[in-house]
Amino acid sequence: MNIRQLNERVAAAKRETLARGETFYPGPSRVHLASFPPKERWDEWVAVEPDGGERSYALVPTTCFNCESACGLLAYVDRETLQVRKFEGNPEHPGSRGRNCAKGPATLNQVTDPDRILYPLRRVGGRGEGRWERVSWDEALDDIAGRIRRALEEKRPNDVMYHVGRPGEDGFTERVLAAWGVDGHNSHTNICSSGGRAGYHWWMGLDRPSPDHANADVILLVSAHLESGHYFNPHAQRIVEARERGAKLIVVDTRLSNTATHADHWLAPVPGSEAAMLLAIASHLIRTGRHDREFVRRWWNWQEYLACEHPDRPQTFEEFERLLGELYSEYTFEYAERESGVSAEVLREVAETVAGARTRLATHVWRSASAGNLGGWQVARALFLLNALLGAVAVEGGTYPNAWNKFVPRPPVLPGHPEQWNELTWPEEYPLAMNEMSFLLPQLLKDGRGTIDVYFTRVYNPVWTNPDGFSWIETLTDSSLVGLHVALTPTWNETAYLADYVLPMGLGSERHDIHSYEQYDGQWVGFRQPVLRAARERLGEIVSDTREVNPGEVWEENEFWIDLTWRIDPDGALGIRGFFESRERPGEKMTVDEYYGWIFEHSVPGLPEAAAAEGLTPLGYMRRYGAFEVAKGVGPLHERPVPEAELEDAAVGEHGRVYTRAPKPDAPNVVPLPTPEPDEEGRRPVGVEVDGEILRGWPTPSGRLEFYSRTLAEWGWPEAAVPVYLRSHVHPDELGADRMTLISTFRLPVQIHTRSANAKWLDEIAHTNPLWLHPQDAERLGGIRTGDLVRVETEIGYFVVKAWVTEGIRPGVVACSHHMGRWKPEGQTGGQRQAMATVSLEREGSEWLLRRKAGVAPFESSDPDTGRIWWSDVGVHQNLTFPVHPDPVSGMHCWHQAVRVRRAEPGDAYGDISVDTAASREVYERWLERTRSARDTSPDGTRRPYWLLRPLKPPKDVYRLPAVRE
Amino acid sequence: MTELQVGGEFDVRNLLAGGERAARWVKVLDQSRCIGCHACTTACKSENLVPVGVTRTYVKAVEVGTFPQVRRNFQVTRCNQCEDAPCVAACPTGAMFRRPDGIVDFDKRVCIGCKACMAACPYDAIFINPADHSAEKCNFCSHRIDAGLEPACVVVCPVEAILVGDLNDPSSRVAAVVNRDSVTVRRPEKETRPKVFYRDATHATLDPLAARRPDGGLFMWSEQGEVPHRVTSGAPDGWNSSAAALLAYDVPHRAPWDWRVSLYTWTKGISAGAYLAAAILALAGAIGWGDSLWLTWAPLVALGMLAATGAILIADLEHPLRFPLIFLRPQWRSWLVRGAFVIGGYGTVLAVHLLGGSLGGSEGLAKWLAVAGIPLAAATAAYTAYLFAQAKARDLWQSPLLPPHMLVQALLLGAAVLLPFGHGTHDLQWILGGAAFAHVLLVLGEITLTHPTAHAHLAVRELTRGRYAAFFWGGLVLAAVAIAAPLIGVAAVGPALLAVLLHEHAYVQSGQAVPLA
Repeated sequence: MNIRQLNERVAAAKRETLARGETFYPGPSRVHLASFPPKERWDEWVAVEPDGGERSYALVPTTCFNCESACGLLAYVDRETLQVRKFEGNPEHPGSRGRNCAKGPATLNQVTDPDRILYPLRRVGGRGEGRWERVSWDEALDDIAGRIRRALEEKRPNDVMYHVGRPGEDGFTERVLAAWGVDGHNSHTNICSSGGRAGYHWWMGLDRPSPDHANADVILLVSAHLESGHYFNPHAQRIVEARERGAKLIVVDTRLSNTATHADHWLAPVPGSEAAMLLAIASHLIRTGRHDREFVRRWWNWQEYLACEHPDRPQTFEEFERLLGELYSEYTFEYAERESGVSAEVLREVAETVAGARTRLATHVWRSASAGNLGGWQVARALFLLNALLGAVAVEGGTYPNAWNKFVPRPPVLPGHPEQWNELTWPEEYPLAMNEMSFLLPQLLKDGRGTIDVYFTRVYNPVWTNPDGFSWIETLTDSSLVGLHVALTPTWNETAYLADYVLPMGLGSERHDIHSYEQYDGQWVGFRQPVLRAARERLGEIVSDTREVNPGEVWEENEFWIDLTWRIDPDGALGIRGFFESRERPGEKMTVDEYYGWIFEHSVPGLPEAAAAEGLTPLGYMRRYGAFEVAKGVGPLHERPVPEAELEDAAVGEHGRVYTRAPKPDAPNVVPLPTPEPDEEGRRPVGVEVDGEILRGWPTPSGRLEFYSRTLAEWGWPEAAVPVYLRSHVHPDELGADRMTLISTFRLPVQIHTRSANAKWLDEIAHTNPLWLHPQDAERLGGIRTGDLVRVETEIGYFVVKAWVTEGIRPGVVACSHHMGRWKPEGQTGGQRQAMATVSLEREGSEWLLRRKAGVAPFESSDPDTGRIWWSDVGVHQNLTFPVHPDPVSGMHCWHQAVRVRRAEPGDAYGDISVDTAASREVYERWLERTRSARDTSPDGTRRPYWLLRPLKPPKDVYRLPAVRE
Repeated sequence: MTELQVGGEFDVRNLLAGGERAARWVKVLDQSRCIGCHACTTACKSENLVPVGVTRTYVKAVEVGTFPQVRRNFQVTRCNQCEDAPCVAACPTGAMFRRPDGIVDFDKRVCIGCKACMAACPYDAIFINPADHSAEKCNFCSHRIDAGLEPACVVVCPVEAILVGDLNDPSSRVAAVVNRDSVTVRRPEKETRPKVFYRDATHATLDPLAARRPDGGLFMWSEQGEVPHRVTSGAPDGWNSSAAALLAYDVPHRAPWDWRVSLYTWTKGISAGAYLAAAILALAGAIGWGDSLWLTWAPLVALGMLAATGAILIADLEHPLRFPLIFLRPQWRSWLVRGAFVIGGYGTVLAVHLLGGSLGGSEGLAKWLAVAGIPLAAATAAYTAYLFAQAKARDLWQSPLLPPHMLVQALLLGAAVLLPFGHGTHDLQWILGGAAFAHVLLVLGEITLTHPTAHAHLAVRELTRGRYAAFFWGGLVLAAVAIAAPLIGVAAVGPALLAVLLHEHAYVQSGQAVPLA
């Protein structure tokens, strides 16, 4: 073929696409090459393969289920073999816009993983012995449903607990629990983002930020959002776009992340000092008068602050500004330098950059310092203070609250919430905890605070992911504490080994979910679907159960929960079944088609019209395109006037809060919102009066941005009622001379906790987690070189790991990524052979020893690639050696560890882990002493401020503390 | 509906006007945007069904600086789509070829698996696919381009750091970047004219020796990998690299040619040398043209070793049964092809010599065949120097003294192998001693001269102080012993044969021990 013909062939594709009136998706290169086949051809796309052959595919969208970003995927389903050939991005997805990180394409590995669990399994012998038998779904479901039914009949609803890792969906399972009437939702959030959430929640009443990176002039990240975090790929796209436009990037991270690499200013502070630095920047803005006075005056609850804290002073804005200056005057750059080790000069420069952003400042913290430190929630608060000072809130280029950029469509029936309080998830010592005190579960069970009869772990691996895993093993193997443990998981994990049932659940391309995440100033709904089911339906087949198309007997959760619910309440006597009963065919189960069909028809504005324009049903549209953008450019909702219709018998309360008797209009978007208290006459808060206008305001008690949290002041934390710097548990003064801070939470761009170990392409890239050590420390510790074994001693034990000597970390700090160190006990048959070491577990009383027996090695399987495994190391499981560190306010587990690092001793072997769970119990008790229990602090005899967000929020009277209630 | 922004509209007329404006596909790898996420790596694996253990593209990372002024630099590392592609020149069958639009592509159906392309590629971008045993590399996803689609890595990249386009189209984004921004290519000194341009890449990643190789077999979150015939990237400990640049992530690399190629140079040297040494003896009158050494034993040894050479060469192929393709679809620029024909010619001469001369009793035929036989034997000995030099990646092998050195080695081996026959012994001892002396001089020159490039320098370091030092010094000492052949006679035979074997192994392997990517 000559050059002319070749060029002509390449050019013809676009020409023909346009001539046919089909969609040409321009790629980043902006040439005549498309990035994706035209959507009009997604039913039957003939693709040329690398070997020149042609195959015919159905292109079916779904959603990645690796991290929380929920990026769109497009499955290429071979129309002949009906198998997935590959996953690409979905150009119709407004969040990810057709692009993915490494984990997107690697979804294919997870689907074809030879080690995945294909059939329901039941334990044989003792828990954790490693012997399993295959059972039918019917047997498993009947057994589990029978136990739940008994618990419900015997009025023990809280004996049922559902413990979820990454939900990856909005609301379905919470609705199941609500229907059952159990307060049994338990999450992973307090080991993840509660610290960050708390800081935002105290400010806005909403617990997540939505930075508008794409339009920002300055982006300030206390995290590594170019490579990880919420929402890695969607945010990275927009951050890099902004940088290309000339936006400045400031990154706070003690370790050199890929994100820090791109920063115009990389600040690598002493861990725990982040709030001090941020407050010094805030102080500079105030001192130099660069704050947005109008915004502060209109939107901060300064009047409430003055009234509560300075009732004797003039109640004027000028007085507030003066006090504000005073309040932060101690946070000088020099002070921040002493705390953080970052030079005052650099901080001044950064402060000037921040000041220059004006309202175009996008900031973000999610885990990082907020998840690492005692008081870490104040990092998020101090960070948002910068936005609040500059008025960079809910405006273009600023930071929005998540709820405005999220759309959770209302389901057909919303059950009421449970009428009892679960003490195992919401203990009274933590009245302000943002989420369930999940990681304390073993300790709370050991306290004798309750037992669990049926415990679901759902794509969650607490033995491995949580701190103090040996205490988890101790409690999960004690059948007097946990009656029946059901692990819902696609793959083997350290927790599933201790289950009674292991039930295989589908991967991202094998299940239904809907979800919506705040990734830019807009709202979208994404749809995850079993792609083989959708492909078969396109080919004219009728699939009524996802198991028909999934590998083995792998199911999906939606159908599983519906089926289980029906078995719990087969005759409807418990009043539960009805929530999952077909409306079209009463007496029959609701199908997923009906459930989502209803939602897309009734609860997603604009979708029915968009679908009709293409001659599709709303469900058909979502099955075809996988996502729908509900709104774009939501803008500052707080500035919107409250419509007259909502102001029936309105009353203006303290500091301008406006209340109404008009009932809350039914909105299709049921995104969780807090519930500020009604006024004394029972009117609900509806807005706030600002300069004589009644505006929507914020869902906080005051209706404004709460610089000052009266809730915190009244619930025992007056000293932290405004954003201040709280000293971390790893503050240098706490460490002592021989300890260093271990940063144990950093993520790698290609892995995601225990979820991605079943992807060979990802394991090949990243499979170990040496301890990052600065050369100065390496020298001080006796000339440690990369690859040498070191012993890292925590409060409760130690682990032995290899050293990685690098300039990419602050001297005096060590870091170890938490993705690695997967293991399977000797004798277990199942396991992730490409990513799990085989270990021995020895126990003497409370003393545990885990030793590595073998690393990974090539093996024969249905996938020839497993014979090509070239790595043997899988890292070390450091979390086992961490005791629990619950923050007394946010409830967040404070991850940073004060550790002693030294050269390994003779006899130490790589991967050795030694822990004394009696010591971990002592640490738990010590941290319990930091708490200020509701019993001592509650101003109104309740367990928790009612207005705060809470999953499955029970009715208000359930909030009363037990003694008070009687 | 996703917002679609259309930039510079591509006009196909730019391509076809008059037919002379051909598309010239280039890629831009924008390291100012790359976030080191490895999406391109897995998207490529998925699109092109690339097995575990090998990659068409990966993201190298190098840390530069000292805290707190540190940076992790990325380099998307892959085939450079050279305008003058050494792999195409080196490929004996045209399996690696350049399309008219500039894409360097491959045809797995005709790949014999000789790894000459791998030895030639200055970027270490080619590998043998363990599933189908053929050479492959990034080909711009030519199957997608032909269907009007961007390559998989371009589409997946979250930050649009990879662009593909036509440099001849001034409206294209790649043209804007290549022509207006600070771009560079990898190893321009190799004169390959790469068509993959890096925007804002640093020397620390572009130069494979600029960053220090970490200790302990580790990278920041992976093992360096215990793979066979491994070449780990980065400068080895103690090498003159910037102490502040540390290789933080790379993939395992393998040297293409293993002991079989070392061994082949030896058997082939014996074959050529036996004939040449006997011919010299006959020409010099030390033996008669009718002497059985010339008529029978030397050509018999030569033919036997030539057969062994062929067997080794075929055994070294990933597709041994496709061996005939070298003759059926020769790509004449390939020294492997040229060498095959030289060896074929030489083998024919030897066969006729033995059939007609030795068995047929025709002294004259054997004698006059030497007119062709001597140059063919010399070419058999020396062509390997050109084959090695065609391995453009390997600086050690770019030596102008290599052809004579190969001849010297052949004579050394030939003299040694003929000595035990007891014909022309005195002269053979002197040939052996002289060749050994010349060999030692050439080797000493090789290791003591200043080396023109860092790569050659490092290769010599590997030779004399690195992984192959024992072979090298053992070989040199044995060669020194062989110089004494006139004094020690047959006792020099063993040391001489072993000397060259050890030397060749050290030389062939250390030539490939330098990291290229």
